[in-house]
Amino acid sequence: MHIKKYLLKCLHRLQKGPGYTYKELLVWYCNNTNTHGPKRIICEGPKKKAMWFLITLLFTSLVCWEWGVFIKTYLSWEVSVSLSIGFKTMDFPAVTICNASPFQYSKVKHLLKDLDELMEAVLERILAPEQSYGNASKALNSTIWNYTPLVLIDEQNPHHPVVLDLFGDNHNGSAPGRTCTAQACKVAMRLCSLNGTVCTFRNFTSATRAVTEWYLLQATNIFSQVPNQELVEMGYPAERLILACLFGPEPCSYRNFTSIFHPDYGNCYIFNWGMTEKALPSANPGAEFGLKLILDIGQDDYVPFLTSTAGARLMLHEQRSYPFIKDEGIYAMSGTETSIGVLVDKLERKGEPYSQCTMNGSDVPVRNLYSDYNTTYSIQACIRSCFQDHMIRNCSCGHYLYPLPRGQRYCNNREFPDWAYCYSHLRMSVAQRETCINMCKESCNDTQYKMTISMADWPSEASEDWIFHVLSQERDQSTNITLSRKGIVKLNIYFQEFNYRTIEESAANNIVWLLSNLGGQFGFWMGGSVLCLIEFGEILIDFVWITIIKLVAFAKSLRQRRAQACYAGPPPTVAELVEAHTNFSFEPDVAGPGPDPGTYPDEQTLPIPGTPPPNYDSLRLQPLDIIESDSEGDAV
Amino acid sequence: MAPGEKIKAKIKKNLPVTGPQAPTIKELMRWYCLNTNTHGCRRIVVSRGRLRRLLWVLFTLTAVALIFWQCALLISSFYTVSVSIKVHFQKLDFPAVTICNINPYKYSAVRDLLADLEQETRTALKNLYGFPENKSRKRREAESWTSAWEGTQPKFLKLVPLLAFSQDETSKARDFLTGRKRKVSGSIIHKASDVMHVHESKEVVGFQLCSNDTSKCAVYTFSSGVNAIQEWYKLHYMNIMAQVPLEKKINMSYSAEELLVTCFFDGMSCDARNFTLFHHPMYGNCYTFNNRENETILSTSMGGSEYGLQVILYINEEEYNPFLVSSTGAKVIVHRQDEYPFIEDIGTEIETAMATSIGMHLTESFKLSEPYSQCTEDGSDVPISNIYNAAYSLQICLHSCFQTKMVEKCGCAQYSQPLPPAANYCNYQQHPNWMYCYYQLHQAFVREELGCQSVCREACSFKEWTLTTSLAQWPSEVSEKWLLPVLTWDQGQQIKKKLNKTDLAKLLIFYKDLNQRSIMESPANSIEMLLSNFGGQLGLWMSCSVVCVIEIIEVFFIDSFSIIARRQWHKAKEWWARRHAPPGPQGQDNLGLDIDDDLPTFTSALRLPPAPGTEVPGTPPPRYNTLRLERAFSDQLTDTQMPAES
Repeated sequence: MHIKKYLLKCLHRLQKGPGYTYKELLVWYCNNTNTHGPKRIICEGPKKKAMWFLITLLFTSLVCWEWGVFIKTYLSWEVSVSLSIGFKTMDFPAVTICNASPFQYSKVKHLLKDLDELMEAVLERILAPEQSYGNASKALNSTIWNYTPLVLIDEQNPHHPVVLDLFGDNHNGSAPGRTCTAQACKVAMRLCSLNGTVCTFRNFTSATRAVTEWYLLQATNIFSQVPNQELVEMGYPAERLILACLFGPEPCSYRNFTSIFHPDYGNCYIFNWGMTEKALPSANPGAEFGLKLILDIGQDDYVPFLTSTAGARLMLHEQRSYPFIKDEGIYAMSGTETSIGVLVDKLERKGEPYSQCTMNGSDVPVRNLYSDYNTTYSIQACIRSCFQDHMIRNCSCGHYLYPLPRGQRYCNNREFPDWAYCYSHLRMSVAQRETCINMCKESCNDTQYKMTISMADWPSEASEDWIFHVLSQERDQSTNITLSRKGIVKLNIYFQEFNYRTIEESAANNIVWLLSNLGGQFGFWMGGSVLCLIEFGEILIDFVWITIIKLVAFAKSLRQRRAQACYAGPPPTVAELVEAHTNFSFEPDVAGPGPDPGTYPDEQTLPIPGTPPPNYDSLRLQPLDIIESDSEGDAV
Repeated sequence: MAPGEKIKAKIKKNLPVTGPQAPTIKELMRWYCLNTNTHGCRRIVVSRGRLRRLLWVLFTLTAVALIFWQCALLISSFYTVSVSIKVHFQKLDFPAVTICNINPYKYSAVRDLLADLEQETRTALKNLYGFPENKSRKRREAESWTSAWEGTQPKFLKLVPLLAFSQDETSKARDFLTGRKRKVSGSIIHKASDVMHVHESKEVVGFQLCSNDTSKCAVYTFSSGVNAIQEWYKLHYMNIMAQVPLEKKINMSYSAEELLVTCFFDGMSCDARNFTLFHHPMYGNCYTFNNRENETILSTSMGGSEYGLQVILYINEEEYNPFLVSSTGAKVIVHRQDEYPFIEDIGTEIETAMATSIGMHLTESFKLSEPYSQCTEDGSDVPISNIYNAAYSLQICLHSCFQTKMVEKCGCAQYSQPLPPAANYCNYQQHPNWMYCYYQLHQAFVREELGCQSVCREACSFKEWTLTTSLAQWPSEVSEKWLLPVLTWDQGQQIKKKLNKTDLAKLLIFYKDLNQRSIMESPANSIEMLLSNFGGQLGLWMSCSVVCVIEIIEVFFIDSFSIIARRQWHKAKEWWARRHAPPGPQGQDNLGLDIDDDLPTFTSALRLPPAPGTEVPGTPPPRYNTLRLERAFSDQLTDTQMPAES
């Protein structure tokens, strides 16, 4: 009971508002609020009053609506973009250099011997079937390759295409399709699964493409069985590839390059990768302050069927990122000097919730297989990891071109006879790619190196002799010239005059923006501020209090009515009863002439002279105490 | 009495319903300043001392001026845009790729048509430069042509003579045909000197174009004979080709099977059927990949060269026209499917015996049209009819504009652009002086005198493929041996010879990665933003709001006018009364006028809640001020309710 009493007291003290009725409260509020409209409602004439009431209502709703608009805009997490362009000292990009041919033919010959022989035989059969057929007695060791044979489909009769096995034994050699040309015959690859029971033909419109694809498939099969160490040894060593290196004024050598084994291009060398030591900065634009390289691609030692394009492959990328050189690399031609001016085009995005990107790939549901190289996340890495994942799930072996998860094996014909069929299906599957694209998120920082490429003949005819001589002497310690125009590549990589273009995202609508706009709207329509809102809240609380008091009074009156059932006239209200009880000068105006709307009460009830009417302020407060005491009395 | 009534009475007593019912403007201003919601005004009235009041007037006026200035800035910068750049990694539509041989027609096929022209060109070369006639192209039996030509009249040179001028005497020129000097009449237009000055050229070469009657002639000169002869040849070439029907031209040019040896896209084989023919007047048959109507656009879901387009092209250099084109190779252009490939304007040239790898990056741009910028969404609001069968672009608009003007002025259409409806290509059988007309018009076009540049507007959205081109040797030394025979087999019956590596060019076009950048413009301001900025300005300088503005309108316009009107009405009434009645109430009127000045606290008195003292009945004597006021008001105002006096 004590607690209740205490609480009630507290509440009463809290609710000492400006009025005891709704109207009073409202009038008080309108008169004293700092918002502009309400004041006008009460201090104008009746017509204007109505107008001002409408205006205030209209403005209030406008303010509410536009607040809604702003809050919605804020929650849409838009970004604004700032662009900056100029020159600054930046880390020189990492430069990856590969040879277009992955291996030196002289070193892989023993592995590819059988395959090459077979390939030559196939070519012979395609090109000149009649003649080659005569001396086809050459025994082809085709047993290993029989899993995915090349076939010739004769479509001279479109309803009955004749399929001829190019490796096949000579039994149906007299078939009429032997003399067909490219217009009628198509070379295709037969891919079989389940011990050769389910087969599909992968058609090619050109024989060139067909044999290249077939050779690549078989070569993959061979190289996947060779341990990595041996593969590295078969590739081009750094000292053979990189003849001269100059970074700005400082000399560098092949030792400044980090070696990495790339399945497509063999040994690749990365300059300024920043893995072990700090990245090198470049503080000046222009070719003199960039990287100058002389390479020898050794075109004579290319694997003839594996690559038909000769040149160096190079790519610029960020420090500590894996070079996806097959996608983003460019060629540099032999016998030329290729100058590459670099502009670093950087896009820095804000992460969630502004855009759907990932900062470091930790929230992507694909295991990054390239993390073994200690490289940063990129979407290419994710997509490849995803593909390898699918490959292992569907074909139970990993593809040679992508890194291998722990405990898995690369595909080869001996252990996984169906792999080519499986891989071919998976590679063509659009659904697989889309799953991967949807699973992988792009990374928030996207750096592109915009290159301005120009070429010139190098070395010039006049300087050719001595340059080749010096370079041969340095590399091979021989007086003979071991280099030629066909193998030598010069590269200049340097920053352009404007070397960066950074596009940075920032939140378009921050909380300050929101508040200032909310304030602006409220101020514009109604001249209000946060304090006005607090005022309004206060009034609301008062409103609630009045309601409570009224309810209490109503409950009391009900009880009293039940107690003393009848009155002579209309039953007095609670307030009147209470007032009559405590205030001696109180006169109930029941007997009065009744409310007359036209006249003022003051005019009618002139107080008795000499006794001033009770001060209204004090009166206002009094009923409270009485109610309080009353309730106390009840409680006790 | 019901409590409601009581309250009502109380409200009425405490808060007398009054308005700015001041009798004079001054009063009204005073009332306004004291009661307005804007800050500053009140200070003017309340301040004591002239200096202080002046200062406050200054401050208030400055604030008002600032508000106007800032709001004007806000309005003037309303139509600005903010740019956002977005990156998406997604499946991308592969663009249409148009491939042309640089040489338009097989020379063996068009030679019959061009025989006379070739002969005359050679003669001109011989006459001026001593170029040996028969050594250059041994394959061609020029001797037979020479003998056949001996007797005939040179029609091309006669029509448009090639001339050599020496620098000092520009009016004399040496004729290429005869080697004689002859006098040149008419104006001489140095083609090069219009845009830039050519210095120190001893002898200039040019050709003379005359309109129908030879009185009006123009001479176009070039600093080098190479340019002059090529230009001259091209002019005649267009004349001749304009008369050849399209089907014949298509047949004379290369077929898709011939041009494309192999084709591979996204791991799948493709062939000539995947290419659509597009005949270009200056480049002959071009073939567009991924532009087939009624078929879905191919897309790429992986980056890298394997997943792009790989083609090997057959470029037969022996069939090249020696005067029309002087370079060998093919031209490639990457464009949108509905875009017209302007192969002569933009395009990457690729070399033979090389692998050209073109990496692409896609950038999409969207601009906002009116009123933000002058761009057009689809060209429908540009007053130039699109004569190309393609989506609108600035280039199309300019070319269409020129062609339309050409048909208007010269009566025929220029050969290298499509035909507008109901027009023919120019040739000198039907339009003998079209060349003069064309050159004049072209000059005017370049000088922006035709108004095309001002009429044509850029398109609002465009896709741009940034290309990174790199070259490598192809085929490599070691693979050449097996590759060439297989490619010959692939080419099959199309050609009857063994392929050489200089006849072939390899082209790779692919997406480097699937990052697509979209540059989008969006309105920097919305109407809500503008309003809230207004609100900020108004609030900052004067704590004003729309309510204040309404107040100002109310007070300064409605109330002021009503006061003035009332005055006038009063005066009129008085005047009427004076005319009809003896001048009695003059004193009263004077009294009323006097009152105005010494009633400084009228409104404040009205507005303040009645002091408790006043309610004490009977005790205070009636205050004269209020009494007077009431009298002054009672006959004027009918709608005012004065608080009842106790």
